[in-house]
Amino acid sequence: MKISLQWLIDYVDLKDISINEIIDKITFAGLEVEEVVVQSDKYNNMVVGLVKEVKKHPNADKLSLCVVSDGESDYSVVCGAQNVAQDQKIAFAKVGSIIPSNGMKLEKVKIRGEVSTGMICSEFELELGDNHEGILVLDEKLKIGTPLADALGADDVILEVAITPNRCDALSHIGIARDLAAIFNRKIKFPEIQINESKKKSEDFAKVFIEDSVNCPRYVGKVVLDVKILESPDWLKKKLKSIGLRPINNVVDVTNFVLHEIGQPLHAFDLDKLHDNKIVVKCANESEKFSTLDSKDRELTSTDLMICDGEKSVAIAGIMGGENSEVTFTTKNILIESAFFNPSSIRRTAKRLGLSTDASYRFERGTDYDITAWAARRAAQLIQMTSGGEILYGEIDAYPNKIEKRKTILRFSRLMKVLGYSIPESTVENILTNLGFEIISKNNEQIELVIPSFRHDIEREIDIIEEVARIYGFEKIPNVQKISVTLEEKVDQSYFCDNLKNAMNSLSFYELVTNSLLNETISEKFGKPIKMLNPQSSEMSHLRTSLLPGMLQAISNNIKVNEKNLRFFEIGKVFELIHEKEIESFEDFKESEILLIAITGYEIQSEWYEKDIASDFFGLKGNVYALLNKSFPSIKFELTYNINHVNYEEAFTIMHNNKIIGYGGKVKMSVANLFDVSQEIFACEINIDELKKIEQPDRKFKDLLKFPKMVRDLAFVLDTEVESDKVIEVIKTASSNLLHQIKLFDIFQSDSLGKDKKSLAFQLEYFDETRTLKEDEVDKDFRNAIKEVEKTFKAQLRGI
Amino acid sequence: MVEKISETRKSFDEALSKVTNPQSLEELRLKFLSKKGIVNQLFEDFKLTSKEEKKLIGQILNDLKTYTQSKFNEFIQKLEKEYTVKKAASIDLTLPGKQKEIGSKHIITQTLDEIKNIFKGLGFSIYEGPELESDYNNFEALNFPTDHPARDMQDTFFINQNFLLRTHTSPVQIRLMKEKKPPIRAIMPGKVFRNEAVSAKSYCLFHQVEGLYVDTDVTFAELKGTLVAFIKQYFGSEIKYRFRASFFPFTEPSAEMDIWWQPKGKEGRWMEILGCGMVDPNVLINVGIDPEKYVGYAFGMGIERTTMRKYGIDDIRLLFDSDIRFLKQF
Repeated sequence: MKISLQWLIDYVDLKDISINEIIDKITFAGLEVEEVVVQSDKYNNMVVGLVKEVKKHPNADKLSLCVVSDGESDYSVVCGAQNVAQDQKIAFAKVGSIIPSNGMKLEKVKIRGEVSTGMICSEFELELGDNHEGILVLDEKLKIGTPLADALGADDVILEVAITPNRCDALSHIGIARDLAAIFNRKIKFPEIQINESKKKSEDFAKVFIEDSVNCPRYVGKVVLDVKILESPDWLKKKLKSIGLRPINNVVDVTNFVLHEIGQPLHAFDLDKLHDNKIVVKCANESEKFSTLDSKDRELTSTDLMICDGEKSVAIAGIMGGENSEVTFTTKNILIESAFFNPSSIRRTAKRLGLSTDASYRFERGTDYDITAWAARRAAQLIQMTSGGEILYGEIDAYPNKIEKRKTILRFSRLMKVLGYSIPESTVENILTNLGFEIISKNNEQIELVIPSFRHDIEREIDIIEEVARIYGFEKIPNVQKISVTLEEKVDQSYFCDNLKNAMNSLSFYELVTNSLLNETISEKFGKPIKMLNPQSSEMSHLRTSLLPGMLQAISNNIKVNEKNLRFFEIGKVFELIHEKEIESFEDFKESEILLIAITGYEIQSEWYEKDIASDFFGLKGNVYALLNKSFPSIKFELTYNINHVNYEEAFTIMHNNKIIGYGGKVKMSVANLFDVSQEIFACEINIDELKKIEQPDRKFKDLLKFPKMVRDLAFVLDTEVESDKVIEVIKTASSNLLHQIKLFDIFQSDSLGKDKKSLAFQLEYFDETRTLKEDEVDKDFRNAIKEVEKTFKAQLRGI
Repeated sequence: MVEKISETRKSFDEALSKVTNPQSLEELRLKFLSKKGIVNQLFEDFKLTSKEEKKLIGQILNDLKTYTQSKFNEFIQKLEKEYTVKKAASIDLTLPGKQKEIGSKHIITQTLDEIKNIFKGLGFSIYEGPELESDYNNFEALNFPTDHPARDMQDTFFINQNFLLRTHTSPVQIRLMKEKKPPIRAIMPGKVFRNEAVSAKSYCLFHQVEGLYVDTDVTFAELKGTLVAFIKQYFGSEIKYRFRASFFPFTEPSAEMDIWWQPKGKEGRWMEILGCGMVDPNVLINVGIDPEKYVGYAFGMGIERTTMRKYGIDDIRLLFDSDIRFLKQF
């Protein structure tokens, strides 16, 4: 909201306070000043100039060559306007100034071969109006060389103030002035209204009927006859322009002025267009059509509050008037509406219609139900001032149920308890009185207050505490220098995933955070997705059902910039419908936390000591194994292979106690192709929620081995289809408990072994924890193992 | 015995002068200095001598041991030096090492870790919660009335009338307060969503850390002190800050904390870093905590903007685009 400082000081005396202090203090009090525009800055390096000479430009018919004086020097200026003439006083922008309308910095230039050192400005270029046909000709009485800002009276400072949604009372100049008055402990000056009313009564010329008093608790009307619809006087136009409003005519301008002065939205009806001179406040008919002032047709519902006359709707209450009762240049008699509407009713309608106006913005936050009559009189007074007219006596005040002002109590002990700091009682009283609270009673312990009608945000003690604290100043409440530690059980729910992330880092993986929102096609490919009601775009209309699409997109993007060797992981939530029906409870969908690991490209790119190693199934498997082993060393996981999976071939599942906790493998080409990826990707998804459920067995120290180990190597020639795991199984079964470890250390295939044959080499480790082994008992064990493998697989011992 | 000792010394000197390679050195060590070597043998002999002899011989025998040992050590050092020089000449030590890459956590995770660590040090627990939330937990319970403009403060992705993507991690506060009795002192990090168009400045999701402390003697002065301690740890003790009044439906009084931000060579300005305040009594009532007995404070901050400023990242989309050239920088 724009606030003019010149306008503001009509209501509170701030002469002795610097602009910076004003800005700081209202910002601290919760009215954040986001931008400050010093009007005179706009006109830096611009002065009142005198056109001493005008000649035709030698090389351009439409241009003139002028000599402009700033009182000290003469400047040669090329000018394109037709209305430039000798002896005019003009707005002269010197080299170095910035033209407000386009932000262009003026430099010395040559135009069609003639030097131009400055510019004679138009109204448009100075942002004073729309006229850009000719130059702005200034009052001839102005002194040459006067700074242009002074000549134009541009002495205002405009503040852009961000008003939080609770502060309905601060949406006007008086509202802001009230906070400033409280901050600087001074009184607010309310404008006085003295009007000449005729003997005729308002209520004899118009009637108001409220049919829906819940949504319209109060409706004030005031009649002014014989008004003339004119251009507003300069003072009024200047005030409106200063806060960025376009003057229209005196009646509209006055209603806008009052809105920005006190915060009460007003509407002026052409009284002669109101059938039966009657106002009825009621809800619209279902599907009723209505043309608003902005020339748009709106469709209404039966919950939209309308202002009607004797036969038709004439305005959408609190939001926008209708074309059918609009004030025009032929209007003679007007009815000023100053009402109080139920905020949530206005909000519902405004939201549904997608129509936010200065009026609806205020009504939906809550306006001052006690200021309605004053605001109507204020408008009548100003209309009369601008164009004469006959103000009828009194107001029509439809106010079926008088609203009682709320009361509350502030205990000083509670103020101290919440803030941790004691504010002197007299200061508390001053702050509250200056903010418009009425103190009914007080004693050493508490004060009882009446809450002003403009503070819809205040009803409880805590609200009062906030008012006192923010005006007193948060910076004056000292920060504590020590805190006590509470000794309740400390929990860290993020610890589990943090550990996984650390392990992934040590395995050379980089963490990703990808978008949780996907388009419909992709999200459906990977599960039963949940659809959003109001997506930003169709590309992000569904919640992700898997982390895989985000990962594949990431890989695709990287390959496009020639980064092809990637090791990524992401930990994130995926969402899936449980049943094909609307979500009504948390049981209707599943939100799971998933770890996704992916590798692609080269795992090792050729080094001076090593050849290329491409990422492959075993690279993935090794990393998964290392991760689980590192994070859960005491838990046994099993992998099962060649399962049938929709996204993976060469697939495996990670099992624990017959429960699947993850799966992975080579991403199917058809899946990778969806993301324009043609290189092989190996990925694994692990359900963290399931992982967390696995009970961690006690980890106990095991005595270090005191006796030597004995190691035996052997190699078999086997049929190619024999799985290494099976061979290991047989060796284990055939051996005694002296055998503790079997390691596959070589695989070899060649023609010399025979067709469909391979050689597997194992290293076997024997020991006993209680004694040194004898050579022959190990040999016996070893021979048993060999025999069993030979027998089971028709294997040939190749060497030991 | 005395003679034997001086002979040993001589023969040691002679043998040492003849050492030319590691093998002959090892032979010398075995012959003279090992457990069963000549010197130790002399000590064995020494045990058998008479008391008088022991007086006479003890000293010189010890001298022999010290002498041979130190000569031997000197020689080894000399040899190692020569060896190193020779070897260095034959190996290109500037070849790159055989290295493994260490991956990295996302920069947002790293920032979260830093923040979590600071608050852990201040006695806070860490709680998490679901991202798909009920309207009740995300708004109603937090004192956002239906049909109130406060709801416009957070553009929301709705699933339907009652479910949505959480717009802040505050619903975790509701869940926590319903479940635990005060004192409750915790932070809630997590992903949150806002229905905003994706651009360099905004994204449809971001991360937040919120904090909550409910007990019988929690004050606004403590909230301020705690947050000042936090930003000083995070940004450095020289950081300039200010608190200004603000509005959040779930706290009262409410404040925003700004820090003075001045990148090198640029104009400084106040920058909002977090929102905070005293938990609104309505929120406490909604979770069944007596607001007369207990007072709470709460705060919340967005992680992306702070991270971006700290590292000079000018486009938020970089954080979620997963470009390895970006990820490797952190």
